[in-house]
Amino acid sequence: MEVEPIPQQVRDKIEQIETADLVVGVLPELDPKSFAMVCDTLRALSGAARIAVLRDDHAATPAAANSDAVETSAFPHVVPWPLLTPDASGTPILSISSAYQSVFAACERLGARACCVIASKLDTPSPEWIRQFARPLLEEDVDLVLPYYARHKFEGLLNSSIIAPLTRSLYGKRIHNPMGPDLGISRRLFQKMLAAERSANRVHPLAYLTPAALCDNLVVCEVFLGARIYPPTDWTNISSIVAQVLSPIFLDMERNAACWQRMRASTSVAAVGDPVLVSQDAGTVDISRLVESFHLGNRDLQEIWGLVLPPSTLVELRKLSRLPLEQFHMPDDLWVRIVYDFALGHRLRTINRDHLLRSMTPLYLAWVASYARDLESSSTAGLEQRLERLSAVYESGKPYLVSRWRWPDRFNP
Amino acid sequence: MWQQIKEALAQSTARFLTRFADLLPGIAALIVAVLLSIIVGLILAAIVRRLLASVKFDQRLSRWGFPGLAEWSPSSSPTLLVSRALASLVIVAGFLIGLAAFDAEWTSLLARSIFAYIPNILGAALVLLFGNVIARFIARTVLIGAVNLNLHYARFLSVGVKWLVIVLTVAMALEHLKIAPGIVELAFGILFGGIVLALALAVGLGSKDLVSKSLERDAQKASGEKMEEPFRHI
Repeated sequence: MEVEPIPQQVRDKIEQIETADLVVGVLPELDPKSFAMVCDTLRALSGAARIAVLRDDHAATPAAANSDAVETSAFPHVVPWPLLTPDASGTPILSISSAYQSVFAACERLGARACCVIASKLDTPSPEWIRQFARPLLEEDVDLVLPYYARHKFEGLLNSSIIAPLTRSLYGKRIHNPMGPDLGISRRLFQKMLAAERSANRVHPLAYLTPAALCDNLVVCEVFLGARIYPPTDWTNISSIVAQVLSPIFLDMERNAACWQRMRASTSVAAVGDPVLVSQDAGTVDISRLVESFHLGNRDLQEIWGLVLPPSTLVELRKLSRLPLEQFHMPDDLWVRIVYDFALGHRLRTINRDHLLRSMTPLYLAWVASYARDLESSSTAGLEQRLERLSAVYESGKPYLVSRWRWPDRFNP
Repeated sequence: MWQQIKEALAQSTARFLTRFADLLPGIAALIVAVLLSIIVGLILAAIVRRLLASVKFDQRLSRWGFPGLAEWSPSSSPTLLVSRALASLVIVAGFLIGLAAFDAEWTSLLARSIFAYIPNILGAALVLLFGNVIARFIARTVLIGAVNLNLHYARFLSVGVKWLVIVLTVAMALEHLKIAPGIVELAFGILFGGIVLALALAVGLGSKDLVSKSLERDAQKASGEKMEEPFRHI
């Protein structure tokens, strides 16, 4: 069964390959030298695995993109494929989801045992990491391989503030980047996703895969990678990003409610490779714009927040808005309760879901401002401690979520 | 002469009594129609009340953006308002049916013209309802969008847009009801134009800082200066 229709121009190329053990989708534009390094690394995988590499045909050279013949004698087989839509910048989450669907389509057609998607550019790329991603899938029967990026303190903020600690609290596994975007997936997990798509609404791969693997007790591991290169922030688009990222996560929470309500304390997952250390930037950051957004939200969005947040939370937010900039601090337990309340509001459709998630943006920016103040002159160790504290609060706040989830009308502190 | 007066009186009394006797069946029919419509209205109101209570109509209405409706409703319950409105409609319909039972031309004409006007009322009510829902949705969208763009006049913009849509809706409803169409058209034009002008001035004057900051950013990008933006969200 095909996940997405395979474009005609690549159908013939896929037919020439016939089968593959591993399909690797390369989304970012890599220069020829880096791409050659990727292919060399894959070639060195043990077991003589047949590997097909899908490369975005916007990134391929015109000659390769227009070529009718795949180099069947060459190994791995390289297939130019339109993986990313031309206007990917406006909706990065949606375009990467469709890129994943394309890789899955190729995987299904070629009967592959596993697939990998390389979606990031790394700060200091090394060829070894691709092999570290692929090897657990081919040799150790791992179902899901996730990245563990070395992080700078002000990068991946949505992941640090919500995605990772929420996944940890809900599903009981300490996963640092549950939504990748670089992922390795086994055929078993990929077919599970296909079955879910057939029976329910379209699932978002990045949000679906980790919870599905954890709920079914599939084998998950992490790979230590270097720091990822993040795209610059577009301030006019933050609310869209927040809505696009959180919507599939909250939908998955609803789908997996029976699973996460049973989970208790969290445990670590196996990690491959050695941790990569990065230096942290010192110096102050300007949080005035973030705090200003929060003040504006607090002034104008009280009516909407009041539909989702309980009175005690609203009172605390009002107190927070009266603090001067130098003392601005959003406590972690307040932030965690806000996230849980918005997840519940999303489930109950208290208001239009898109409105709900976009109205959360000023609260998120208030947390970012608070976090930035905490970590102004922090080292990597300080960063890890800070995030560990936040994760612990997510876990200790889980009974609050469970109570509100089960009795939304009765339990309203 | 006295005999003639007596005869005239007797004839007019007889005519009155005959006329009155002719009206009696109509009056009886009117009373029966009203009584029946009261009974049917009460039964229907009870059914509708139970139905709306089972789907938690009051809570849903509040979530859909109509919390103010509860304030207008008896006992702050929109369910009661709807059920009583329905019962009143049935009773009025019964009264009109009873009126039509009179074999008098003017009552039949009155009943017919009222019945012919009911579709206009229903159409206008639907236009008002949907217009209100759309106005609130658009107002909320504009409010959230403007707040996320750090616009300090977000609330003003949202209220302005909401009233634009409501004014348009009311004008459409009044046109449906065929109430003073010429005056309504003129008043709507003036009001709508006034609101649009006020919004344009507010946005234009209020966005001066935003525009100058945006131009400053573009100039910095062109000169290759690094923008201070340490945060990366995803």
